[in-house]
Amino acid sequence: MPSDELPKAVAQLLSRVVLRDASALQRLYQLVASRLLAVAVRVVQDRALAEDVLQEVFVHLWNRPQTGAPGQSLSLAWLCVVTRNRAIDTLRKRRPETSLHWRDADGQEQVHDAAAEGASPLEQLLAEEDGSRLGRCIGEIDSEPRSAVLLAYYEGLTHAELAQRLARPLGTVKAWMRRSLARLRDCMESCT
Amino acid sequence: MMWHHHPRLVDLLAGEYALGTLQGGARRRFEKLLARRPDLAEAVARWNERMAPVLLALPPQTPAPGTWRAIEQRLGLQAPAAPMAWWRRLLQPAPAGALALGLLVGVMLPSLWQAQHGGPDTPASTQLPESYVGVLGLADGRPGLVVSSLRQGRTVDIKRVAAVPVPAGQVLYLWSLDASGQASPVAPLPQGPFVHLQLGAPAETVFAKAVELAVSLERKDASPQAPSGAYVYRGLCGKLWRVP
Repeated sequence: MPSDELPKAVAQLLSRVVLRDASALQRLYQLVASRLLAVAVRVVQDRALAEDVLQEVFVHLWNRPQTGAPGQSLSLAWLCVVTRNRAIDTLRKRRPETSLHWRDADGQEQVHDAAAEGASPLEQLLAEEDGSRLGRCIGEIDSEPRSAVLLAYYEGLTHAELAQRLARPLGTVKAWMRRSLARLRDCMESCT
Repeated sequence: MMWHHHPRLVDLLAGEYALGTLQGGARRRFEKLLARRPDLAEAVARWNERMAPVLLALPPQTPAPGTWRAIEQRLGLQAPAAPMAWWRRLLQPAPAGALALGLLVGVMLPSLWQAQHGGPDTPASTQLPESYVGVLGLADGRPGLVVSSLRQGRTVDIKRVAAVPVPAGQVLYLWSLDASGQASPVAPLPQGPFVHLQLGAPAETVFAKAVELAVSLERKDASPQAPSGAYVYRGLCGKLWRVP
């Protein structure tokens, strides 16, 4: 399906899922599971755990399809946000066990790298037509605050966790976030 | 300071909430207000929409084959069925209330018709005129609307069995759904327990591909080409005539 037709198809399927149409749920899964899994993997950084998150999203969607979206229409963007939030909840439950350093399945030493995490999504975003406006606006934010915004969004890090991860004072991180959000909003509104 | 009276502060806090960096007591206070302040909910929704491209730009990853099966198993869903003919869809299990209502329409109306137009021995009066009849249910399965029209008629009768709240500035909007679930706009519905809708063309033209009928909430005076949100009523559209 062409990517510009996807949001409309998803919105229609979601409205059928609300009315307990099981075939719509399956079709929706076929259309968006790979995108939602990408979101979950990005947040939890664990493939098996991300598959669990994906399951939870669809089970919750079927059982309580209209919860958690006050003021927001049911859409592909909403599904992505639901998946991100559920993945963050899952991560928070496990966070005490999570180390900043770990060994992957191939025995390679891995480490969370804030700078790398900040750069790659931005490049992806700039490459996407739909995301280019957001990509440009995020690109206008200075490097470290930008990393803070993207880490908070991808991994649900709190101010304190961001301060620890980025080795900066808590007050600095809070000020970064406030200023970055204000710049982001002003930039995106000026583009509309 | 009453921060929630300052739109720019509201927007920034909504951004922090959407990002997840609003924590502890501040988050709880924000959520308490969120439940009763549509402007806060809208601000959060705006941030979610603004930031969603970050998530949509991620390269897709194919889930393991067992993930959908696990979801089906947890939800107790049947294995996917092949697309069904409309007459088979009519035989699918329907919510009890909708089924009862359907039987009422099917059994009682012919009797009433007979009573008014002649005895059972008159062949032409023993059945309903060729008509469309839709029994639309609510999301919880209760019957909600009965929609009917003569096959060649231009008037649709709508009997409301159960009302749904219609927010100010919005109207109920009728859709015709084809076998693939594709929705075509019909018209906004007048409000009331028993109302009539005038069609711009004969019902047979408007409902030619209809397998189901559905109703969504739409902005007043809008001409939507697709439903903007969830359906509030939905049900099968029966065609009451003999196919040669």
